[in-house]
Amino acid sequence: MKVIVEIDRCELHGDCVLAAPEVFDIGDDDEVVSILNDEPGEELRAKVEEAVRNCPVTAIRLQG
Amino acid sequence: MTATKPVISVFDSETYANGDPTTFGLPLDQYTYLRDEQPCYLHEFNDPMLIDRAWVISRNEDIWAVDKNQELYSAAGGYVNMWRVAPISPNPELGGKPAMLVMDGEKHRGQRAVMSKGLGPTMVKKLEEKFREYAANIVDAALAKGTFNFVEDIGHAMPMEALGDVLGVPKGDRAQFFKWVDTFAAPFDTRITPSFEYVLTAIMSLLNYATELGEQKRLEPGDDVITKLVQAGADVISADELQGNVALLASGAAESTRTALSHGIWELMRRPDQMAWMREHSDDIPATAIQEIVRISSPFTHLVRTATADHELHGQEIKKDDIVLMLFAAGNFDERAFDNPTDFDLSREKNPHVSFGRGPHQCLGKHVASLEMKILFEELLQRTKDIKPAGEISYLRDAYSRGVYQLPVTVTPA
Repeated sequence: MKVIVEIDRCELHGDCVLAAPEVFDIGDDDEVVSILNDEPGEELRAKVEEAVRNCPVTAIRLQG
Repeated sequence: MTATKPVISVFDSETYANGDPTTFGLPLDQYTYLRDEQPCYLHEFNDPMLIDRAWVISRNEDIWAVDKNQELYSAAGGYVNMWRVAPISPNPELGGKPAMLVMDGEKHRGQRAVMSKGLGPTMVKKLEEKFREYAANIVDAALAKGTFNFVEDIGHAMPMEALGDVLGVPKGDRAQFFKWVDTFAAPFDTRITPSFEYVLTAIMSLLNYATELGEQKRLEPGDDVITKLVQAGADVISADELQGNVALLASGAAESTRTALSHGIWELMRRPDQMAWMREHSDDIPATAIQEIVRISSPFTHLVRTATADHELHGQEIKKDDIVLMLFAAGNFDERAFDNPTDFDLSREKNPHVSFGRGPHQCLGKHVASLEMKILFEELLQRTKDIKPAGEISYLRDAYSRGVYQLPVTVTPA
């Protein structure tokens, strides 16, 4: 699966980091989220789907 | 079977003042009725202090949808909750000051960005050591007392210090600062706020103090949110918006965390199995436990939005400019979203609670508050071997901020 983030929407709510810290990170001085791995393995699907659902600004979607 | 309609009193402060301690202090049967029978219910308030009417949304899924849809459900329509007047408001004639909660779109993003740097999940980790020190001191002071009012000695004390640090309020000013917040936070409970004049005075004092503190931070910047607000520059955060956002952060952080801690300890005392579970995990309390406490405590029962277009919802015709009310407390017990919603289960994994909201205006302090509570419960449980009620629980007379008024407890040191 491919993780796609509409970075303009990011407001640093941090829900994605809570749901899938293997995929998303927010550094100290970051203005927007960092994607650590935009093609995570299947074993992370449930976590990434939670990140998609929980993003308050609907900035994340999955392809495949 | 058609349900008989109960009297809907979910917006009456008496309902919460007289809450049932065995149902989390909440009118769960009324919430069930609304979710099942009238998921988009038009409520007439009949009170000059409150808005005229609102469409009440009670299902968990619908609350998520409304909160996430800022185009159709605007936060900038003039109201925050069911109160006609609030310390934060985009409408100057209502007396409030603008804050990000009552803005939409780009304006909202710009304001939130200034404050979010100090409050995101990574930044919050830096606060852990300080929070632990506060928690330890607060628990030790409580242990020395033996029997005390949990709401005051722990529920109030911890957020006061934590928020004090986050905002940058000098230690000597914190007690007074929070006294102002408490006054306008519970405007209908005459035990706390004898009259509406007190509310107005408290709001004015807080707003003036925010300006003064902003000036101090201009001269002596700190690692806090008020410094960030003044450093953003007047184009991004005007003088009025500084006041409004400080009022917002203060009211969002003080009572809500206190409410969650107080309801949390009550439920732990009621459920020895859950208290035991919490003790077993007291070296590192899992997020599921904290979020379960946030779910059942539902510190703010609701917030409102304003419809920007005519549309239909559950067979009801909502008109442009109608107020739509997200009843978080009802959404948090929706069996469509939770397994056994009335069960207090600290290991609950599927927990789409809406206490913090779920859209762009989601509580900015949720990470700080969650960490605060985690650390507080860890210190409390590690240092005690027993915590039990020393009297009856009593609730705040308020249908918006459904706090606990008194909760006498006795603790035994470990």
